[in-house]
Amino acid sequence: MISRAARSEHVSGWLFVAPAALLIGIFGILPIGWAALLSFQNNDLLTTPTWVGTQNYHTLVNDPVFRQSVNHTIVYTLLFVPLSVGGSLALAMLLNARIRFSWFYRTAVFIPVATSTVATGLIFNWLLEPTYGVANYLLGKVHLGPYGFFQNPDQALYSIVAMTVWGWLGFDVIVYLAALQGVPESLVEAARLDGAGRWATFRHVVFPLVSPATLFLIVWSTINALQVFDEIYVTTRGGPLHATTVMVYYLYSQAFEFFHAGYAAAIAEVLFAITLVFSLLQLWLGNRRVHYGS
Amino acid sequence: MRWPLPFSPRHLALMPIAALMLLPLGWMLLTSIQTLPESRHFPPVLIPSGIHWQNYPDAWNAAPFGRFFANSMIVTLSAVAGNLVFCSLAGYAFARMRFFGRDVLFVALLATLMVPFQVTMIPTFLIVQKMGLVNSLPALIVPNLVTPFGIFLLRQFFRTLPIELEEAARMDGCSRLGVLVRVVLPLSMPALATLTIVTFLWTWNDFLWPLIVITSTNQSTVQLGLAQFQGAHQTNWTLLMAGNVMALAPMLLVFIIGQRWFVQSLASTGLK
Amino acid sequence: MRRLFLIAATALLVASAGCGGSSSSNGVVNVTVWHGYEDIEGKAMTSAAARFNATHPKIHVTVQNYGNADYALQKVLTAIRGGAYPDIAYLYGSWAANIARSPTAVDLSSRIKEPGVNWNDFWPAERQAVQVGDKVIGMPALVDNLALVYNKKLFDQAGIPYPTANWTWDDFRAAAQKLTDPSAKQFGWAYVADGSEDTVWRFDALLWQAGGDILNSDNTKAEFNSPAGVQAATLLQQMATVDHSVYLDNGNGNYANLFNSGKIAMLFTGPWDLSSFPDVDYGVQVLPGLTNHQTISGPDQWVLFDNGSERTQAAWTFLKWFTSPQQAMIWSTQTGDLPIRASQTQLPGYDAYVKKYPGVSVFVQNEANAVKARPVIANYNEVSQAMGQAIQAVLLGKGQPQDELDQAADQVDQTLATGQ
Repeated sequence: MISRAARSEHVSGWLFVAPAALLIGIFGILPIGWAALLSFQNNDLLTTPTWVGTQNYHTLVNDPVFRQSVNHTIVYTLLFVPLSVGGSLALAMLLNARIRFSWFYRTAVFIPVATSTVATGLIFNWLLEPTYGVANYLLGKVHLGPYGFFQNPDQALYSIVAMTVWGWLGFDVIVYLAALQGVPESLVEAARLDGAGRWATFRHVVFPLVSPATLFLIVWSTINALQVFDEIYVTTRGGPLHATTVMVYYLYSQAFEFFHAGYAAAIAEVLFAITLVFSLLQLWLGNRRVHYGS
Repeated sequence: MRWPLPFSPRHLALMPIAALMLLPLGWMLLTSIQTLPESRHFPPVLIPSGIHWQNYPDAWNAAPFGRFFANSMIVTLSAVAGNLVFCSLAGYAFARMRFFGRDVLFVALLATLMVPFQVTMIPTFLIVQKMGLVNSLPALIVPNLVTPFGIFLLRQFFRTLPIELEEAARMDGCSRLGVLVRVVLPLSMPALATLTIVTFLWTWNDFLWPLIVITSTNQSTVQLGLAQFQGAHQTNWTLLMAGNVMALAPMLLVFIIGQRWFVQSLASTGLK
Repeated sequence: MRRLFLIAATALLVASAGCGGSSSSNGVVNVTVWHGYEDIEGKAMTSAAARFNATHPKIHVTVQNYGNADYALQKVLTAIRGGAYPDIAYLYGSWAANIARSPTAVDLSSRIKEPGVNWNDFWPAERQAVQVGDKVIGMPALVDNLALVYNKKLFDQAGIPYPTANWTWDDFRAAAQKLTDPSAKQFGWAYVADGSEDTVWRFDALLWQAGGDILNSDNTKAEFNSPAGVQAATLLQQMATVDHSVYLDNGNGNYANLFNSGKIAMLFTGPWDLSSFPDVDYGVQVLPGLTNHQTISGPDQWVLFDNGSERTQAAWTFLKWFTSPQQAMIWSTQTGDLPIRASQTQLPGYDAYVKKYPGVSVFVQNEANAVKARPVIANYNEVSQAMGQAIQAVLLGKGQPQDELDQAADQVDQTLATGQ
């Protein structure tokens, strides 16, 4: 028999989440249900769809471009997440100091995040242009290159990683900056007085205290990285030779270039499954390792 | 080792990083003050012949940007307000309360982020249409009133706060809601400021959803207005960049102001 | 704070109560037109609507810029799915075959026979592009073609005579070689090598010149891997990987700015690019050819959507007026777009038009060289992608022409067979 207090806790819990649950239920869960249904259809969004059961999924398994897209998506994610989360923590530590112009540096770091993807794409198209771009010009000065970057199938994906890490670093930085506010200076000083070096202080005091933010950023960055699209759309368009075709790009072209919306939905469902597995794993591991409270 | 120079060594690391990060803004500003023929050069002309400020009024007048800015403001501020309220409520419940189905619900909400928008945009449109909201500002606001991102973010932050304060308040007879509003939120300014900035950023820069759901100029947002500078074959780079710079301005303002709140010292709160 | 928000939200909901398109109020029929024109063309569109409204009191046309035409398809598909679509929309030619399958797209085949339309006055390429099976799903909106645009100064500097109407592929290749200077980072030619339709359609012109075809006559098998196709692909391969005289553009339009900066000597491009070259004294010539100088045309169209018979009739009235010779001439003169009707060349305004836009007369004459068209089939985009990948591979030196084209042909045959 649930005690009165516990019962009222259940009720208040649900009352607190009700507005969010309702809105997200309508605008988040319903559309996903529709998308799941779509994956069992042959649907071009123009004519009457037909139900084809699991045929789309069977086709996926034998589709070499799909397999490539899964591969590219995972490689991209495994590079993007550590680089951006790790890099942003380092940057946040640098910025979390009372030095002159710190507001200026923080704003500068934030600017790539606030800039439209179109502008970012343009800049990188220019920077990494093989013949006339700044990157090869500078690399040439130290006798390196020239590299094809976006135009070389072997380098294109890594160029996208560089571009997106640069573009999103500032976002992670502000989350970490906020988290670092919860690290009391007294603790840091106490550790120092105990003789701990900078690295040890970081490892044993700071890092555990910002671990909730780390978990958040890892889960969040993973979900986003698995869905990378915009930056690829404004630069390489999935090429050259499918080198940067990731899952969302592939499903976009299936839906809006080839009119195979059902097939695109099937790809989305596979992506959903992959993302869910990653996230659950991270959350589970996180609950064991993350340090909450003071 | 004593640092011999009068400024912190951090500057040495931060300056090149800041320069790298400022590249897009620099490039946008540069393009926005060029003349159109000047912009049609590759590699880009780095030192313009003069400052062609005319691009700014030209961009502003090319479309009713005053209206677009107002619309974007209404939508964005509403989304920010909604998120602050609903994510705080839900985030607190997930952080501190035990209720039936809590963890499943949390994962379910998070799961809604895992299907790409390109797939969900059509059913979302149909839902909005059933509500009779197509081509109206509420169509842009209501789906963005709360995001699982905000809930997750606040949940993590709330859990780092010392629970003793909340327990003490409850023992003093404070209701759950009271604890949230009077104890937890005031201590969460950095997180709330972060949520404000990020929600502002996304809603302000949102393009694909407004594109689909808005069909008339009166309801258009700034991003839709900017897209008009990109034709099928030709892009008016100078006006586009001038427009982009103007669109960036409110964002930066919010960020600079918000910094006060997400970088604050807790040393004086007597907490620890 | 919360209360204030609730009040504001309610006020917003009440204030912005729906505004879909109403069909008629006091006998005036409202027609909505979606287009992607901006700048000069956008203004021309608005003034055309104003002219029409002034002379047709029973119809009110509103034109709406839907943003970037690249996104138009997503927007239109969503709108169709939601039942909230316009009366007329500007759509790319490559979408025609698919849009035609929607029951909302109006079949104009009987309407084009009305007096005054003179269907055969439109260029062959345009008529082919809107013919999907036995349906006519649009009125021509834009026609263009590919011609050879070259930088006169670079030719003078290299001491080469300007391209003539009899240039062969060998003449072209030799000139490109002479005009390439690695130390000055100057290229003789540029090619869009991103694997998209931009990559494919230039190849198509060469394929046709060599006597080949993209698909067989009933669109069931690929034919672009014939000896003609290999010949065309080999030209590209030789110029890109042996001569290194081709700048490979990755789809972001750098080639236009490079041409304007004097770094590229020749382009295969269309009239839409001319205004991007304010700093170049350019010349226009027909494409270099073999036994013929065929080119390719890329027409776009105005598609009519069914919003009830009243609106459909009103929309048709507007389209018929808008595509009439006089109105089309006004449009061309204001925007520089090519005439959509052959008879426009006989109109009094034509000379002024040609004078206003240097080089455009060659494009108009070149339209007669656009005898073949790309297949207007629902899965054309998949054919395009297979070909695009093959050509891209050849240009990057990652494959041999015959192998790549054969591979692409296999893929295309499969696609055409399953209808998927």
